[in-house]
Formats: sequence, C-alpha cells, structure tokens
Amino acid sequence: MSERPLNVQPAAETPAVTPPLLEVRDLEVHFPIPGGGFLRQSPHRLRAVDGVSLTLTEGETLGLVGESGCGKSTLARAILNLVPLTSGEIRFAGRSIGGLAEREMRQYRQQMQMIFQDPFASLNPRMTVGNIIGEPMQIFGLHPPRDRKLEVMRLMELVGLNPRFLNRYPHEFSGGQRQRIGIARALAVHPKVILCDEPVSALDVSIQAQVINLLTELQDKLGLAYLFIAHDLAVVRHIADRVGVMYLGRLVEVAPAADLYANPRHPYTRALLSSVPTPDPQRERRRERMVPSGEVPSPDRIYPGCRFADRCVMAAMDCLHSSPPLAGDDHQVACFFGWDEPRYQAALRQPR
Amino acid sequence: MPAAKSRSLLQLRLQRFRRIKRGYYSFLVLIGAYAFSFLLPLVMGNRALLVRYDGAWYFPMLRSYAYDTFGLGSSHIIPAGELGQTEIDGQAVPLGAEVDYRALQRQFAADQSGDWVVMPFFPWSPYEKIEQTGTPPAPPMPGHWMGTDTAGRDVFIRLAYGYRVSITFALVVVLVAYSIGTLVGAFLGYFGRWLDMIGLRLVEIWSAVPFLYTVMILAALFKPNFAILVGILSLFGWMTITYYVRGEFYREKAKDYVQAAIAVGEPHAAIMVKHILPNALTPIIAFAPFAIVGTIGALVSLDFLGFGLPAPTPSWGELLRQAKDSGFTKWHLVVFPLGMLFVTLQLIVFIGEAVREAFDPKVYSRLR
Repeated sequence: MSERPLNVQPAAETPAVTPPLLEVRDLEVHFPIPGGGFLRQSPHRLRAVDGVSLTLTEGETLGLVGESGCGKSTLARAILNLVPLTSGEIRFAGRSIGGLAEREMRQYRQQMQMIFQDPFASLNPRMTVGNIIGEPMQIFGLHPPRDRKLEVMRLMELVGLNPRFLNRYPHEFSGGQRQRIGIARALAVHPKVILCDEPVSALDVSIQAQVINLLTELQDKLGLAYLFIAHDLAVVRHIADRVGVMYLGRLVEVAPAADLYANPRHPYTRALLSSVPTPDPQRERRRERMVPSGEVPSPDRIYPGCRFADRCVMAAMDCLHSSPPLAGDDHQVACFFGWDEPRYQAALRQPR
Repeated sequence: MPAAKSRSLLQLRLQRFRRIKRGYYSFLVLIGAYAFSFLLPLVMGNRALLVRYDGAWYFPMLRSYAYDTFGLGSSHIIPAGELGQTEIDGQAVPLGAEVDYRALQRQFAADQSGDWVVMPFFPWSPYEKIEQTGTPPAPPMPGHWMGTDTAGRDVFIRLAYGYRVSITFALVVVLVAYSIGTLVGAFLGYFGRWLDMIGLRLVEIWSAVPFLYTVMILAALFKPNFAILVGILSLFGWMTITYYVRGEFYREKAKDYVQAAIAVGEPHAAIMVKHILPNALTPIIAFAPFAIVGTIGALVSLDFLGFGLPAPTPSWGELLRQAKDSGFTKWHLVVFPLGMLFVTLQLIVFIGEAVREAFDPKVYSRLR
C-alpha cells in the first residue's frame, strides 16, 4: 500500500475556484406509503423530492417557489438532515456531509439554521424566550455561561425585540414577534446559511414586510446566505437574487430573479407568474391568465416523462417519454422547447 | 411599558385550578388530611405523649421505654393477645413489650404521687383489642364512636390509619405505574417506526393478561406485603397512560420546535426530557387523580377478597370483609368504611374534574 498523505490540497496549478457554500446534487427524498399489507410496503413511494440540484453562494439569496406539496419544505428539511435522504449528495463548503462523524456534523449544523413557517409551533411553549434563544449557544458551548444572557439580549435587540421580554413565554407574543424570536434562535449560533421555510406565510401582510426587511438587514450586516422558500412570488421577487421554481419534486427553472420574472421560459413558471394578482383592479381585469388544465398529479406515481406534460399546453409526444434535464448557463430551464413563443401562442389557440 | 408579570402555561393552569373552588377545596382538604395523618399518633394511639415520673420527663412518642422503666410490674404491659407483633411506623414491635400507658395513668392517679401521664385524645392503637367494650364487634358507644371490629379494635381509629395507608399506597402505585408508562410511551412515540409497531403490540398483549387471576396466583405464591402489592398493581396499571404519552410524543415530535432542537444537534434524551415531556404532561396530570381513585378501589377490593395488605394493617377493605362475614348484621362495619371510602373517592374525583378543566388546552388557545 502506498502511503498517501491525508487532506491532499488541490495542486497549485488548478485554478482556485471557491466551491459554492452549499451544493445539493441530485437530491432525492422518497417516503414509503402506508398500505400494501402486513409487513409489506406499498410498491409506491411518495417522491417528495426527486432529483434536485442547486447551489448557494455566500451572502446570496436563493428563492424557491412552487405550489403546496411540491417538495420545497422537504428539500429544506433534507438539507438540515431532519429527514433521511434517499439518494443524492449535500456538500457544504466543498465537503460532503454524508457520513460525517457526529463531531463534524455538529460543525455543519452550526453553519446551517432554519426559520420555520409556523411561529406558533416552532417555539417550545414551556420555555422562556431567553431559554429558547440561549439553548443553541449552550449546546455548542458558544459563549461563557455567564455572558450568554447578555448575548441573548443582544440578539433580541438585533431582531427588534425588547430585551426586557427575556423571561416571557411565547404565548405572550404576537405572530410577528414570535417569528423574530425564531430568527434570533437561528442566529444564535452564527450560521452562514439560513433556510427560511415560508417564514412570512403565516403572518399578516404588514408584518410580512417588517420580517422581510429584517431578514434583508440581517443579511447585509452578517453576510448570511438564505434559501428562501415561499409560495408567494411577490415576496420572493423582493428578497431573492436567484429564483428556483419547483414542480412535483423537481426544479423546472432556475434563473436570476429579474430575468425569471421578466421572461419565464418554462410553461409552469409562466402559469405560476400569471396567477399573481395585480393590486390595480383595472389592470387585474385585463391581465392575461394561463391556468394549466387539470390538477397537480399525486407525487406517489412514477412518471417517465416531464412532470408537467399532462397539464402543459405545449406538450409533445417526447415530453411523455423522457424527462427534460435542467439546462442552461445562467437561466436554467427543464423544458425541451426552451421558450418558444409562437408555439405557445399557437397552442393556446388550439381547442383542447 | 410596565413589565407585567410573566406567567408560564403551568402557572396559568394552576391559577385556573385555584379558581375552580370545588376542586381546589377538595384538594386542600385531601392534602391537609393526608399531612395530618402523619401526625395521627399524637391524636390516636396507646403511647403517651408525655410522662412525668420521679421528677424526670419521658417522651414515649420519640422512643420506647422498657416496661419496667416506670417501676411497674409486668402486669402493666399491653397483652400480646392474638396479634403477636405488629408494625408501628415501619418498626416491628412486639405488642407485649409496650408499656400500657393507660394503666400507668390510672396507677399514677391512684398513687397520688404527683407523677402524671398525658395520653392522646383517643388512647388506643389501631392494632389492639379493646377489652372493656364487650364482645366484639361492639356497636358505637361513647369513646368508640364507630364501635369495634370483629377483633375488638376501634373502627374509627382503624379507618383513620387506613386513610394514610390507602392514600400512600395509591400515590406510590400511580407514581411507579405512570413512570413506567411515561417511559415506555415516550420511547414508542419518539422513535416510532418498528419500535412503535412492535412495542404497541407487546403493550396490547400485556393489557390482555387478566389482572385479578394473576394477583390471586401471585398472592398465593408470595405473602403479599406493601412493596409486592405496589409492584403487582404498577405492573398491571401502566398501560393506559402509555397510549396517551405515546400519542403526545408522536404529535409533539413532528412540531417545529422539536425539529429546531434536532437541527441544532441536541441529544435525543435532552429533547425528550426538556422539550417534549413538559408539553406531554397534560394527560398525565389529568388522568392521575382518576388513577388514584382506581388504585384505592383496587386496594379495597383486594383487601376485601383477602389478597391485600397483610393482616394487622388498618384497611378499609378488611372492615368491609368483616361486615360481609358477619352477614351484614353489624351496620357500623358497613356504613362507616363505605362512608369513608365514598367521601375520599368523591373528593379525589372533584380534584380530577377541576384539574381536567384547568388543563384543557382549548381554554388557552385564544392566548396563542
């Protein structure tokens, strides 16, 4: 056996490309479906996430949109190791986190935190705010125990909570304040990436803006990267640098935010965008809407072709047989046609 | 902004419990009586509180004295009778070795020597035969308000001591059974999957074992004592709460605050104890009073059947058995034990109702 030094650095001649902070490759999360009989599992799997690849660089915000049930939240939970991966790889700062030892896993966990959708379920009702925010510090042994209280108060101040509420319980706060507590808890371990799982969906619109602004401010101050999941396209447009669109467990389009909103290339993205209501009633009435026929199919069946094929106006025979890969440089789209405006217009005129 | 007093959910619920008067007062009465029952020897017992003899003070409550301490002959000891020896406050004491302080009191009074004895208000122990009441069981009479049982022992005193025995027994059984049930339920609900699947089946099988037969068989094999009976009743009483705790853990684990704790890498044990358990206590607290009622009922039935606590222990069920054995001709052996049982169980049920109402999560849903 030849002696090989561990931790070989890449040779000097290879260009020093910094790997993206977070890289997800062909991630699949399938759930077994109950039924099938005694001691025998159903032959079907619920394919919540079915081959998603994405990257997130430092300080960037990647928005992730899609309907309910398209696998956005499962994707975030899989990245945090809260649900087991079926296959695929997650790399953080160039290192794969599959099979990491517990000690290294801790470091990874410290870099990556999550803000949850429901501010009522995400805080332990039996713990005071101080304990909720202080607990992650305690687990990672971040500050000397007697400084922790001060650090918690600093964090509360940072997220716009009165530090005097340190000893209050979650039920004494409003939804927006609770979400701030959740944000402070995520920040407590100084993470580099925060997975925001619909952080504002449960809030009133006026509060939504406050929380979004807080997240933007924190990003500027602390250089955080966000994976920002939402089903509200307007919210994502405001905060994201790049946007990914998910449909039935797959990414169908990823593009810089402005580009995606200006010229969507996937028929599903176009349908999604056309469903955003306009606040102006006159324009709202004139707005062109493209509603896909049918419903989202159940994610527990296997589709050989494009997931969107049976609802797509432009679908051809090819679409039913093979699945289009996500292709493109900056503006990636998973559609055989790219965007073909004449074909689209012709398809719209066809009686179906 | 004035800093209003911040209250945890538990504090809010206890506050609400205090507002439900019937349950709260029942609780105070029951707990007060239980605390008092530990001081019972001061009120009911055959040991003197204080003896003044030959210019010295003696405290028979705190230590026993040999029968000749006070210069009396061996006639001034409590007759051993049929009971032989008994347990007083956990100590095995041969009955014959105890100074008869009542006789001592009479003796001192007759001697006019200036020595005196202070006796408890009811100067009889729950274990001794009271000679002057005539053929047992004697009906109620002055000084023995509830009469005597078939062994000539004062029923009132036995009922009072029986209260302490019953409540202690029920508390210990419920504590042990709920600890087992909570532990098992927590594991099944938290880890789920095949552990849950197999564990629940085992719990179901265990629930199907007929309790009474098993107790009879075990009672025939071992002479049951307090610890063995606690063991048996706990062993057959932990399953109900397991289902509830399992359900709570199952539900709470899926909540985001638990997921957040998992995401920061908190160990499973800490998540179960620190995060989930405090949120899973509601069914435990709400069911406990009713479990205590059930356990007291079970103890009374076992004593009634003769499979309960060993013989001289003051027991409600044993008095009822005596009533049955005498063909229900002695009304005082039926009415008083049943009355005591009824009042006690009713108080606990009142507490249980109040606890259930105070801990109802729906009451506070508007606060969330």
